[in-house]
Amino acid sequence: MLDVYTWEPNANSGKPLFCLHEKAVPFTYHYIDMGAHEHHGAEFLAINPDGTIPAIVHDGFTMTESTPAMEYIDEAFDGPSLRPAEPYHRWRMRMLLRYMDNVVAPALAMIASNRLAAPRFIGQDADELRAMLERIPLPERRATWEKLMFQATAPADLAESERRVGDAIRRFDGILGRREWIAGDSFSLADIGVFATFYSLPTAREEQVNDAATPHLMRWLRTCHARPALQAALRMGKGFIAQRAAEIREKLGVAGAAAAA
Amino acid sequence: MLLHYAPGSPHSAAVRIVLGEKGLEPELHKLDLVGYEQHSPAYLAINPHGMVPVFEDDGRKVFESSLILEYLDDKWPDPPLAGTDPRQRYRARKWGKYVETHIAPHLAIARWAALHGKVPETAVAGLSNLLPARCELWLSARHGFGHEQLTASTQAIFAACKRLAADLADGEWLCGDSFTLGDIAVYPHAAQFGALGLPVPRAVDEWLARVAARPSVQAIRGDLFPLAVMGPEPGRWG
Ligand SMILES: N[C@@H](CCC(=O)N[C@@H](CS)C(=O)NCC(=O)O)C(=O)O
Ligand SMILES: N[C@@H](CCC(=O)N[C@@H](CS)C(=O)NCC(=O)O)C(=O)O
Repeated sequence: MLDVYTWEPNANSGKPLFCLHEKAVPFTYHYIDMGAHEHHGAEFLAINPDGTIPAIVHDGFTMTESTPAMEYIDEAFDGPSLRPAEPYHRWRMRMLLRYMDNVVAPALAMIASNRLAAPRFIGQDADELRAMLERIPLPERRATWEKLMFQATAPADLAESERRVGDAIRRFDGILGRREWIAGDSFSLADIGVFATFYSLPTAREEQVNDAATPHLMRWLRTCHARPALQAALRMGKGFIAQRAAEIREKLGVAGAAAAA
Repeated sequence: MLLHYAPGSPHSAAVRIVLGEKGLEPELHKLDLVGYEQHSPAYLAINPHGMVPVFEDDGRKVFESSLILEYLDDKWPDPPLAGTDPRQRYRARKWGKYVETHIAPHLAIARWAALHGKVPETAVAGLSNLLPARCELWLSARHGFGHEQLTASTQAIFAACKRLAADLADGEWLCGDSFTLGDIAVYPHAAQFGALGLPVPRAVDEWLARVAARPSVQAIRGDLFPLAVMGPEPGRWG
């Protein structure tokens, strides 16, 4: 039995979904609505007391770290291998996943949540917001939500995150100019890890990610968006993601553009 | 094979323990962190982050200690240390990551305060040669970490101790019934908690003693002392 508790197919939430689709492993998808703070509700906290998504439960074994969980999925199930066999290439895959997890994804999350989530809290009752904060188990997550709720992210921190994102875009464009896939000559978990946060850049950061500025990244994004498994995973979303992915495919001129419309 | 490492660096110690377990003897380049040799132009040419350890193999550089551990195990699988089944390996990787995000950054800050860390005048100019994020962290250290950050870092270590104790409830080792890279990644950091006056649960103490008894750990025990030096950057967003 394989259960995946998660939100829309993007970021950490999307990593196991992309991975399972690429390997064609059947699973049950339990939609946890992060917009409605379901991940801080009693039902989900019984599965992951940390209140972070995704949570993946395989025959009673619960995993809440998405990157190690992807390696688990690759080891425990049949289907095409998603890790290079050569030790140095495998290290490179892990290193770039680590860079995404620890540097790039948090920077993008800081920027996106300040733009999308923070404005929703303006004018809300401060006591109610405090009560919501109380329900968040991890202190570091509570601190970020507190900043969002009370518009307290320092401008210097946002600027530093912008710098990191710009750096990452240039770095991955460079990497993809040297090799076909992120970690080497085959599609791997590193491609999934980068795609999960970069899939929307051609529309979300059009001025930075386009054919003139980042041709190699664009070439790779087109190839990824054309993969049937990644398209199928993106279609699992119940909110805006499926629609957004269809628009991106259309913009990139990739087959399957209309599939979600 | 060449390992750039430093005594007093828990990340370096983890790599040396795996090398010992596998009977590998690379050439060693020892850096003096007290003398800030890791910020010298010569070393920054090797690792622009100005950090140890770095492992060189076949002319290629391998960074990031917990990933060096996995590289060593992939390339020299005997004896296997990654874990004997997918569950153990998941747990070992989870701990390898947790050390970087939730233990080492906070241990470095708590240690800096406990040892009254100071950046000597001779090392201040060198900070501007570092990459922006490293420079920023070192400038905060130089300035001194505030009460709020120290409390958060101490709490993070207590939380880590609880998680260690929870995973040790199932057996002798952190990831199940065998000694793995998970034990090795965490051990050199956790071995410093007591010396810094941070209380350690009994299950963790007993596990520390089991790891310490291994010949590979005995061989490098002189390297395990706490030193006022920065670790990875604390998480910036959750
Ligand atoms: N360490 C976890 C972190 C997962 C995580 O932070 N997920 C985000 C969504 S992408 C989350 O749960 N956020 C919860 C919140 O902000 O309250 C992993 O890498 O999978
Ligand atoms: N993420 C790195 C962290 C390494 C690290 O924190 N190294 C410390 C010593 S344990 C260091 O070199 N600090 C020196 C400095 O920042 O100047 C790894 O896992 O290898």
